[in-house]
Amino acid sequence: MRIGTMLKDIIASMFKKNSTQHYPFEKNPTPERFRGNLYYDPSACTGCCLCVKDCPSKAIELVTIDRATKRFVLKYHMDRCVYCGQCAINCKFKCMGMSNKDWEHAALDKKEFTVYYGKDEDVKQFLEKLTASTDAETNE
Amino acid sequence: MNIEQILQAAEKILEPWNKETLRPEANRVDIVMQADDLHAATVALHEAHWGYLSAITGMDLGVDSGQMEALYHFCSGPAIVSLRVRVPRENTSIPSIADILPPAIFFERELSETLGFKVAGLDESDRLFIPDDWPPDVYPLRADFSPEQATPVAEKHVEEIPEQGMLTGNTFVIPIGPQHPALKEPGHFQFTVDGEIVTGAKMRLGYAHRGIEKAAESRSWFQNLYLFERVCGICSHTHAMAYCMGVEKLAQVEAPPRAHAIRELVAGLERIHSHLLWLGVAAHEAGFDTLFMYSWRDRETVMNLLEQVTGNRVNYSANVLGGVKCDIGAEQAEKIKEGVDYLETRIRHYLEVVTTDAMFLNRTRGIGSITAAEAERFGLLGPTARASGLMRDVRIEAPYGAYVRYPVSLVTRTNGDLEARCEVRLEELLVSCFAIRAILDNMPDGPLTVRMPRKIPAGETISRVEAPRGELLYFIKSNGGENPARVHVRTPSLCNWVSVLEKAVGRQLADVPMLIAGMDPCFSCNDRLVSVVRPHGSEILSWTQLRKLGIEYYSR
Repeated sequence: MRIGTMLKDIIASMFKKNSTQHYPFEKNPTPERFRGNLYYDPSACTGCCLCVKDCPSKAIELVTIDRATKRFVLKYHMDRCVYCGQCAINCKFKCMGMSNKDWEHAALDKKEFTVYYGKDEDVKQFLEKLTASTDAETNE
Repeated sequence: MNIEQILQAAEKILEPWNKETLRPEANRVDIVMQADDLHAATVALHEAHWGYLSAITGMDLGVDSGQMEALYHFCSGPAIVSLRVRVPRENTSIPSIADILPPAIFFERELSETLGFKVAGLDESDRLFIPDDWPPDVYPLRADFSPEQATPVAEKHVEEIPEQGMLTGNTFVIPIGPQHPALKEPGHFQFTVDGEIVTGAKMRLGYAHRGIEKAAESRSWFQNLYLFERVCGICSHTHAMAYCMGVEKLAQVEAPPRAHAIRELVAGLERIHSHLLWLGVAAHEAGFDTLFMYSWRDRETVMNLLEQVTGNRVNYSANVLGGVKCDIGAEQAEKIKEGVDYLETRIRHYLEVVTTDAMFLNRTRGIGSITAAEAERFGLLGPTARASGLMRDVRIEAPYGAYVRYPVSLVTRTNGDLEARCEVRLEELLVSCFAIRAILDNMPDGPLTVRMPRKIPAGETISRVEAPRGELLYFIKSNGGENPARVHVRTPSLCNWVSVLEKAVGRQLADVPMLIAGMDPCFSCNDRLVSVVRPHGSEILSWTQLRKLGIEYYSR
């Protein structure tokens, strides 16, 4: 039995520089495999919906605008997502994955957590239709 | 003895009560018997020292069949014997076996609460793990349950308890938790004290109950993987691994060797992170905050490794049905080896600290000693059991996955006190370090996944995995559909509670936090089922009363 068994560790630490990081000015780089926000590339998508089917938290919805010309809009609820990556595993055409750059979630409005992915004109068309239908509902 | 001989021995013991023998798996025999014979059969198994009671699974076989079933799983090495008892839904009386095997009381509580089994001699006057305002005679795991039935009712039984002070008769009751500086997780304990000495202990859990087993029935096999991974934040990989291995067994799909090796590797890293976390918590409870800070600093090394390998610090999602998601390349292997080398030197240092530091030894040596016989009787598991000299480790008794190829050695002590538990856990980490190196040096080549069918063939399976806290048991039943029919999880923490309740009596109150920390409890793990011994004594506030008190307090 002795006392002060960890004294050596403490003394050694006195000569080390402070290890606290000054986030958000200084950021630790995330590892390559880090699972951040989902990204989606509509060009390869065939609309098979396997990603939607296996999502454990119902975080993705796929809206088909026109199947023949492969026009899809992906509605992604990043506040429901559990970042497991099952959708990316399921996708046979590699059109989705998890970003290791985009992972900081802070917003003043919950609406910012619903993101629409797709070709610009498709998303525009979808959103216009969506606003039109909600406007119609409010007018009623 | 091989599995066949062990099973035959059990069949011979159970011969007089055996109505039908089923063989659902190679290492498991099911003995169908009548409810009245259950007690005698358990006595026979117990007297012959055949294995230990690992779990009791309850199942509702559906309104059409009109029957309910309880399965008593006994494990001995790799062999499992399940005593199956069928009762009609209208009359669900079964005998209690808690007088022979004390840990059974927890499992029987679960049967009674979730499925409405009437267990003889079980005190049903109080609410156990389901909320106080849950309606009576509504059982969430029954086949005909619908969420509309679960409309909250007035908390009747709470108001029946007369308001009492802390001092009742000659005893003084000290309530600890659910929110308390000495405990980081929600659990409620009541210790009766005589001066400084504890004379009685009771507990109530269930504050983190989430109904995961029920939720699993409405999700697909693939979605459930992520649900079960979230049973526990610390041993999430072992939960996912147990579930995956069970489902793969049912589907008769074998994950590739490389996937098994990576699963063991991540499990090894997870064990390092879990035990270092525990060391920090135990040191903090003992008032040794230097050890707490330094062990958690070093834990960051393994957390970073896990993040690099799997993509996340917690809930790694390394598993997928039929294999693993993440591969390990040469560069990563190098990094893991570097990290493990550093951790090994640190673990050796901590092992020296916990066995030589005078202050720490005052809080651990000779405290909470459990003999091997007691450990056997309490049904302890994992490092808590191994510190008492019980050879109980699924990785060695019934090697699964890559543990056949990369075996680990058993670490035991005989003292059974808190010091022995510290030593066992830290030495296990050294064993894990060796295993990780062995895997990295001889990683098998090949694919990472095999194809899994969306529908799993009908059947039942038991999947056992050694989690950092002890044996984790999954019972999985499929009806051949896209969703499981029943998944039952028995976590190690639930079995280890007896060690705290029994051992606190006679000790000083100051030892209690150390005793609780000594078994490494995981509240969110055992709260998905949960047991409770009804608290008496102090004032219990209902939710409405508590809310009123809160509003009044803050409006002042």
